[in-house]
Amino acid sequence: MIKSLPFISALAFIAGAASATEGPLVTTEWLEANLDDPSIALIEVSVNPGVFERGHIPGATNLAWHSDLVDPVRRDIASRAQLEGLLRAAGVNEDSTVVLYGDTNNWFAAWGAWVLDVYGVEDVKLLDGGRALWEAEGRPLASSPVPATPGDITLAEADPTLRARIGDVVAASDGGGAVLVDIRSNDEYAGRIIAPEGLKETAIRAGHVPGAVNVPWAQAVQEDGRFKSPEELRALYAEAGVDGSKPIITYCRIGERSSHTWFALSRILGYEVRNYDGSWTEYGNAVGVPVANPAGTVWTGL
Amino acid sequence: MRLTDRARGLALPVAACGALMLLWLMLPARDAVGRPLPLSLALGAAFGVVLQRSRFCFWCIARDWFDRGDARGMLGIVAALAVGAVGYAAIFGAWVPDPLAGRLPPDAHVGPVSVTMAVGALVFGLGMAVSGSCISAHLYRLGEGAFGSLVALAGVLAGFVAGFLSWNTLYLWDIHRSVVIWLPAHLGHAGSLALTLGVLGAAALWLRRGPAADAAPGRWPAVTGGVLVGFIATLAYLRVGPLGVTAELGSIARTGAGAAGWLPVTLHGLDGFAGCATLIKQTVLSRNGVFVIGLVLGSLASATLAGHFRPAWPRPADLPRLFTGGLMLGWGAMVALGCTVGVLMSGVMAGALSGWVFLICCHAGAWLGWRLRPT
Repeated sequence: MIKSLPFISALAFIAGAASATEGPLVTTEWLEANLDDPSIALIEVSVNPGVFERGHIPGATNLAWHSDLVDPVRRDIASRAQLEGLLRAAGVNEDSTVVLYGDTNNWFAAWGAWVLDVYGVEDVKLLDGGRALWEAEGRPLASSPVPATPGDITLAEADPTLRARIGDVVAASDGGGAVLVDIRSNDEYAGRIIAPEGLKETAIRAGHVPGAVNVPWAQAVQEDGRFKSPEELRALYAEAGVDGSKPIITYCRIGERSSHTWFALSRILGYEVRNYDGSWTEYGNAVGVPVANPAGTVWTGL
Repeated sequence: MRLTDRARGLALPVAACGALMLLWLMLPARDAVGRPLPLSLALGAAFGVVLQRSRFCFWCIARDWFDRGDARGMLGIVAALAVGAVGYAAIFGAWVPDPLAGRLPPDAHVGPVSVTMAVGALVFGLGMAVSGSCISAHLYRLGEGAFGSLVALAGVLAGFVAGFLSWNTLYLWDIHRSVVIWLPAHLGHAGSLALTLGVLGAAALWLRRGPAADAAPGRWPAVTGGVLVGFIATLAYLRVGPLGVTAELGSIARTGAGAAGWLPVTLHGLDGFAGCATLIKQTVLSRNGVFVIGLVLGSLASATLAGHFRPAWPRPADLPRLFTGGLMLGWGAMVALGCTVGVLMSGVMAGALSGWVFLICCHAGAWLGWRLRPT
């Protein structure tokens, strides 16, 4: 029995290595071992300028969240033509595996995964733990980006059913057709504050969408930034009444952290989830929509 | 007896180096956006040593030129700009492979050019003449024991507050229509570098007409200092961010005056411009803060070892002049988004038109101050 232990652990290791490409997440270890694989298109989405240039995972291409993954003029996700051009320049082919990672807990990389999902890109994964874990483990970084060989990917039209709009959110709140998950801090959810300190995009009403449950995004990750196990995630959300039996809508303040929870619920647990990218900066400013404000904070313009 | 004297002479440099080492060990490895803080401190110390040893003081250099046609210091600045421009171009080639694609290099001080910015640079130049130094030189002179610089730096803080108070008016009147011009976006990397080096080379040829002379005792030749400054600027941009010395001073002024309720709640457009960002302070030790601390301690260690440390308090009669000069430096640096280091050097090296405009206007201001000086 004892003799067979190394054999069993070797089997487990092989199984683990193989499954790294099947699930929605890849490990830092797997990525480092597969950096030269031409079927992988590695993309960094970091929100802080200069982070990518001063050191990125070798072979990665940079996408800037503020201009590449959103429409910089109207408030919207990036247009199909714009995104297709950027992905082709990043070397993404029809059969590529796109691996995304970034700073600030992969929030913006998760937004990228959601936008690619809306445009029908099939094989998109996140680097579990993001930049922070890659750096903490002392893995190599490069500071001279190498232009990728242009790819041939063609994006589908944006699928509106993968994205929640304010009408869908009001309908879910009124009729209960979907479970709403508010992933902001409890202080924001309860209406004690309208937005976290120092953030300028804010709203003129405090509170949350009536009927929404509050599961702050950070509860979905471990201390090192990796997602909790699927079992733990299932239990976490089930406790809040989110078990996948009904469609789900996630939202936050501007829609990027809710992409992180969208990823956990949709890609890891396989639930039917839409991200509401308008989030509280749209909802909390909208006229005539229902609001729950347990703390009763009154907006006074300050 | 001699031993005691030597021990006394070594006490200050040892203390300065000890403080640097202690800080190095105590600093968090990175700031909130991942820049290495201990490295920023070390680069600040190196910058302080080089500024001090090579007397890299923009006003002293300009005055040598105006007074006696002595161009050694000016050639030092030209050397710094040329070496830094080459270093930046090498980094840009990797980071922004296609400069024509409409994207600016990350963090580089490619600032807005506006009438306000030109006037700010002119007033900054005048402030140099009035207070006797630019901001970076006031900082390194602190390390030489010139405590009058503290008065000038207090004036700089007040000048920043004045700058913040005038910002919104100036923004709506002029700054909102300013243009951001990055030469490589129009000429390519090679074209921009060729133009920069061409202009600097022509300036060097013209300046070399003056009499040649050796460096003062204990000082490094200005060109040596300039080459080292260009080298430090390149390393700083690669690993931490462009050189600058006013971000922390501006942040202190903005945070203090903001907390006192003196400033408007919103400073229009300010935080969106590239330059020496003056953000509301969230942490005690920022990367620019530790850079400036390193600069002063590096200069102190260097000055004491070279025998340049001469503690001197300003005469009471000089206080208004020092403070007023500092006020002008602070106001100019605020509305121009930086000073001789952050806008002039980090701008010209990066191929920013703003750097050249600052250079010309600041120099004009310094000349005006020199002409109008009481004799």
